[in-house]
Amino acid sequence: MTIQESKRLWVSLGVGLFWFLMLLWPLLGIKPGGLEFSETWAVFSKIAVAAVLIVAVYHLRQAGVLDFIGTPLVKASEAVGRGYQKAPTWLLLAVVLAAALIYPQFAGRYGNDVAISVLIYICLGLGLNVVVGLAGLLDLGYIAFYGVGAYAYALLSLHFGLSFWTCLPIAAMLAAISGCIIGFPTLRMRGDYLAIVTLGFGEIVRLILNNWMTLTNGPNGILGIPRPDFFGYNFASLSSLYYVILGIAVFTVLAVYRLNHSRIGRAWEAIREDETAAELMGVNTFLLKLLAYAMGATFAGLAGAFFASRMRFVGPESFTFLESAMVLAMVVLGGMGSIPGVILGVLVLVALPELFRDFELYRMLVFGGVMCTMMLVRPAGLWPAKRVGRRSEEME
Amino acid sequence: MKRLIVLGVALAALALVLAGCGSDGAEEKQADQVLKIGTLSPLTGPYAADGNDIRQGAEAAVAVIKAQGGIPGFSDIVVVPADSACDPKQAVAAANKLINDKVPAVVGAYCSSATIPASETLAEEDIIMITPASTSPVVTERGLPYMFRTCGRDDHQAPAAVKFMKEVADVKSVFIVDDKTTYSQGMADGVAAAAKEAGIEVLGHEHVNQGDKDFSAVLTMVKDRNPDLFYISLQNSSSGATMVIQARRMGINAILMGQDAVFHPKLIEFAKADAEGMFCTFGDIDTTTQGYLDFLANYSSKYSAPGAYSAYSYDSAMAYLLAVKAAGTTDPAAVRAELLKLSFDGASKTVSYDEKGDSGSNYTVYQVRDGQFVPYWNSLTGQKY
Amino acid sequence: MDYFIQQLINGLTLGGVYALIALGYTMVYGIIQLINFAHGEFFAAGGYMGVIFISWLAAQGVHPYVCLGIGLVLAMLYCAMLAMAVERLAYRPLRQASRLAVLLSALGMSIFLQNGLMLTQGQYDKAYPTEITAGGFQLGGLYISYMQCLIVALTIFLLVVLNLLVFKTRIGKAMRATAQDKVMSALVGINANHIIALTFAIGAGLAAAAGIMVGLYYGTVSYSMGFVPGIKAFAAAVLGGIGNITGAMIGGLIIGMVEIFAAGYISSQYKDVFAFIILIGVLYFKPTGIMGENVDDTRV
Repeated sequence: MTIQESKRLWVSLGVGLFWFLMLLWPLLGIKPGGLEFSETWAVFSKIAVAAVLIVAVYHLRQAGVLDFIGTPLVKASEAVGRGYQKAPTWLLLAVVLAAALIYPQFAGRYGNDVAISVLIYICLGLGLNVVVGLAGLLDLGYIAFYGVGAYAYALLSLHFGLSFWTCLPIAAMLAAISGCIIGFPTLRMRGDYLAIVTLGFGEIVRLILNNWMTLTNGPNGILGIPRPDFFGYNFASLSSLYYVILGIAVFTVLAVYRLNHSRIGRAWEAIREDETAAELMGVNTFLLKLLAYAMGATFAGLAGAFFASRMRFVGPESFTFLESAMVLAMVVLGGMGSIPGVILGVLVLVALPELFRDFELYRMLVFGGVMCTMMLVRPAGLWPAKRVGRRSEEME
Repeated sequence: MKRLIVLGVALAALALVLAGCGSDGAEEKQADQVLKIGTLSPLTGPYAADGNDIRQGAEAAVAVIKAQGGIPGFSDIVVVPADSACDPKQAVAAANKLINDKVPAVVGAYCSSATIPASETLAEEDIIMITPASTSPVVTERGLPYMFRTCGRDDHQAPAAVKFMKEVADVKSVFIVDDKTTYSQGMADGVAAAAKEAGIEVLGHEHVNQGDKDFSAVLTMVKDRNPDLFYISLQNSSSGATMVIQARRMGINAILMGQDAVFHPKLIEFAKADAEGMFCTFGDIDTTTQGYLDFLANYSSKYSAPGAYSAYSYDSAMAYLLAVKAAGTTDPAAVRAELLKLSFDGASKTVSYDEKGDSGSNYTVYQVRDGQFVPYWNSLTGQKY
Repeated sequence: MDYFIQQLINGLTLGGVYALIALGYTMVYGIIQLINFAHGEFFAAGGYMGVIFISWLAAQGVHPYVCLGIGLVLAMLYCAMLAMAVERLAYRPLRQASRLAVLLSALGMSIFLQNGLMLTQGQYDKAYPTEITAGGFQLGGLYISYMQCLIVALTIFLLVVLNLLVFKTRIGKAMRATAQDKVMSALVGINANHIIALTFAIGAGLAAAAGIMVGLYYGTVSYSMGFVPGIKAFAAAVLGGIGNITGAMIGGLIIGMVEIFAAGYISSQYKDVFAFIILIGVLYFKPTGIMGENVDDTRV
């Protein structure tokens, strides 16, 4: 690194810190009683020291001073990576599956609870991955299908006494139908218009759930939803519920994997890369886009039905826009269109806030910051998909 | 790419280890007999203000008991706060976390919609739950043996409010607005039904959505119908204040009345002069009793002035601690028996629980006068103060 | 009839607020095709800055109206600075990345700013010195508060200034050029990065003004207040045709009116449903919004 470059680095750090001070001080220092600086300084000094340290480490790394630490690490990870590549894929999958199967024996109640939400989000994430990652349709109201599935199971089991296993396909089907209903008018639109319309639909579904008293019991939600049972065995404990959702998640992974590598999956990817060209090549874009919506919604419906039985309670608060945004964040963070990527994204975004639960107040701040930083460092996601083209507008 | 896979595996391993550690750590602590009390309240989100009051109330009760020499058999008492965020899913996750922390009792939660699912989870592990703030009747009507409630019930509060409208304020018509939560809507429905029964004309019952700030359309409707009394059933004091300010700005001269979620010092701080003369129902808290003065001294020395639910939360934690002291163990059945026997002068009232876990309601109508809530009328005695 | 006109005035006021926020969305979208999810947070930050500056100035014994004026300007400047910092940190490094990556970065920024506000300002809402603008006047059967007049007047004033800025000045010309073609405008000597930062700053300034108006009108500000108006303003921007300044104003007014009339005549609990149905209906028949031009097909 030349002197000029390093000078520029430090000057921009200085400007940035000064700017930050200017933004921070009015928030902490201006009070009706008068101006004060001590509180601002206490916060600012910590952040400034951290920033300087980070830049210093970066600088040293650029200068090659840190090679003696970095090189062995890289070598070690490469060695592990080679070992990984030698092992056949089925062996790795078997190890992962085995780990997932014995997990509840080691985890406490809290661990099981977190694992269950991870698996629910894996279903949601993979479902949304079909819509956003494969077909390239930005959907901001995805959580509505999850709500449809949850309410479908809740109402069917309570009013008609249907069992969980009967309701599961029905909930998935109802979610798929609602996916078609929402998809039909929106598919004429493209890009950001599609985003806002799906967002609007998501909000409409939530408001209806909250306000249609006779059907959904409004804000009170539906209580006393039965847990799944299987020929007399009741899945009451958390660890047995874990196996149910593990089964659903494995099914979702397999289904999405097969879809991705089928004719349909390739057609979706063609639509994502260039819709006009895909249409010219004879892809029935309208039908396939509708199918993408329906397929995505199906997995959300499955997850929703399980969610209702696991919580034994559904209320409209669980289906807000923030949830949709969260699932989208998982997909994009992990890598759109990549199944292991989405799973990794879910792990990061569910585990991260749980790890920070002890810093209750700072949890969401860190979450937002990490999300932002991740996008800056790895905009294609943690585990990018293999088959992604570059779109024309990104070539600029 | 390869490094990423390693990273992913490492992350998964980390999660596993952490999940394991969490439970192990909790077991170790159990060995040295620390009494833990969980609190479950919204520490983040729009209801964080009341949520903090609940946490601090429980902490104040623990501080008082510790100052008195603690509880024999326990080396220390700690409060384990958890965030329910007033959201069913978060509340269940937090309840599971508290279970993992091996707390024998939980004080909370705030929103009825969070309390109900959380209590189902806690009930699976026989953990005692004492809510200081959820007034929905459903909370204690489900037959859960370890569910207790220190505050009153909506189905007592609504008739009290209507009795006040009829007998004291002598109004002929009322307009009701709620914001569609389990609690606020239940309350508004109760008032509407009781008002019809009492011969008060309900000119309208409108719902707004949570988080709305603009009430101009609904308030224009209120002004147009011109009721004698305008009943505001919102989920928190801040939206209540917003509605009061807008109502007065719009020139609505009806008597304003709120319920116990709107009742909070912040209402007056926000609405200032516009809140003058407004009525609110709230559980009767006698601020002259020794119990309240003890609470106030302990609370105010650590935190700012107590909020609406601080005293109830203090009493909930206190009730549990006293019951454990009497039982000498945290065994839920023994503590439940002691809780049912218990009767003590707490900060909010004389606390004693019935079979269902309720502790009775004694609603008083307060009026805002000179920037303060002043007791105005007691619904049980029917007397003005 | 009075009832109708009264609701019309309510709708105008609310629409004005939405229009001010929607302008920020639309300007940013017009120039870099980004849905700036953090925009609602600028609105909230503006509201907080307003109460901080106004109550500080008032404590110094400054006349209330002067307080209001200075507070407004300072809060707008603050939010402009904040927006420039956000743009530099979270969006500029992602100019070449996929559009979803930028969207996610914006979402992360939104969560970050919201929680930053909560940590520095506390979880409790903040009270506005509403007494400055209390009162109103009777006009026939109508009652109009001074605050409603102030909001409508300020909105119109800011819109006029913005239109002059965009269509009559060199800076405005540079902004329009950058929006049309970044490469060409760079060739003729326009620094695109500066222009983009400026666009962010102007949008955030307008949002801050809306934040203060909302604080004064409704009496309180909270750290989470940016989210819901943010979504509705975004809907307004899309309804009007995103990227189009006049469209954003019209969209804001329509969304405000629909919300008020739905609440006033049909059902206040479903008012947002009607707002979104109108949005979907308009987009179904005119997929690019009321004033929008045809969007480039290649966009995601």
